[in-house]
Amino acid sequence: MTDSSEPALVRRAQAGDTLAMVGLLDRLTPYVGRICGAIALGGGPDAAQETLIAVFRGLRGLTHPEALRGWVRAIAVREAVRVARRDGGVPADLTSVPARGDPQLAADVHDVLRRLSPEHRAILVLRDLEDLDEQTVAAMLEVPKGTVKSRLARARASFRKAWTE
Amino acid sequence: MSDAPQWPTARLDEIARFRALAAGVRGAAVTERVVAAPFDDVWAVLSDFEGSFGLIEPDMHRVRVIARDGEHLELLARSRWGFRARLIGVHRPGWFWAQSRFLLLGMAATAAPDGRTRVALTGGIRIPGRAALMPLGVRRAAVGALGRLDRAVG
Repeated sequence: MTDSSEPALVRRAQAGDTLAMVGLLDRLTPYVGRICGAIALGGGPDAAQETLIAVFRGLRGLTHPEALRGWVRAIAVREAVRVARRDGGVPADLTSVPARGDPQLAADVHDVLRRLSPEHRAILVLRDLEDLDEQTVAAMLEVPKGTVKSRLARARASFRKAWTE
Repeated sequence: MSDAPQWPTARLDEIARFRALAAGVRGAAVTERVVAAPFDDVWAVLSDFEGSFGLIEPDMHRVRVIARDGEHLELLARSRWGFRARLIGVHRPGWFWAQSRFLLLGMAATAAPDGRTRVALTGGIRIPGRAALMPLGVRRAAVGALGRLDRAVG
């Protein structure tokens, strides 16, 4: 029976099997959609398409097929932040997030995320959705670990306040 | 209902997924057209492999479905130049992607908000051992196929 694990699909795709690429596309689309949707919000479909294009263009160069998800995640975060920044309309930093009790703040994740900058959304996604440690998040976003810590604390506090209201 | 936050998720239509996949196959030019007919009508014409499909893709002179298991499909196609190809692929609403040793054939469609249908095609001669096609008039053939599709459903 054919090995249908992701590393096996990557190896078959790298050998020219386009049906293995379809298998990877089917598996990666929801994953990429989750990351790009939470960071790029309305621009999520654009970011997801750009991510998958970059993934399939670069697949031949992936030397460790076992590292597929981490590689895809890094591309998705980069594309999602880029698209979100391009789309504009985001607060400069968390100080513009409405305080607890603000009637504007709806208890809706999408609405809360919309009030964060793309970089803060990326931190929340990587820590709370992807469950990565601070060191890894810092390396991915090319910021010091301390910055991740402080941004995360503020982003989480705002997020949870909003969510529990 | 769960109290867990529902993170927003980006959803990609089949055309967007098709573009991404084709981007990974060197030489796989994607040709798109908006056809003035509803998705179900368009997809029915494109999916009738033993019938109307051959009118849209005349290079596929005769096609026979030799196996189907869910969305997995095997076709035996004879080209107008006489050579035979056993295509193995995935077929589901809005999506068809199949390859033989020497051929690749892909189609995707998605309903446009105005009731029309966006269709994308790609395909060509495969380069053995690589995710790459030989660029032999593929775009011209696809433009012709989409024109025939438009006339068939319009």
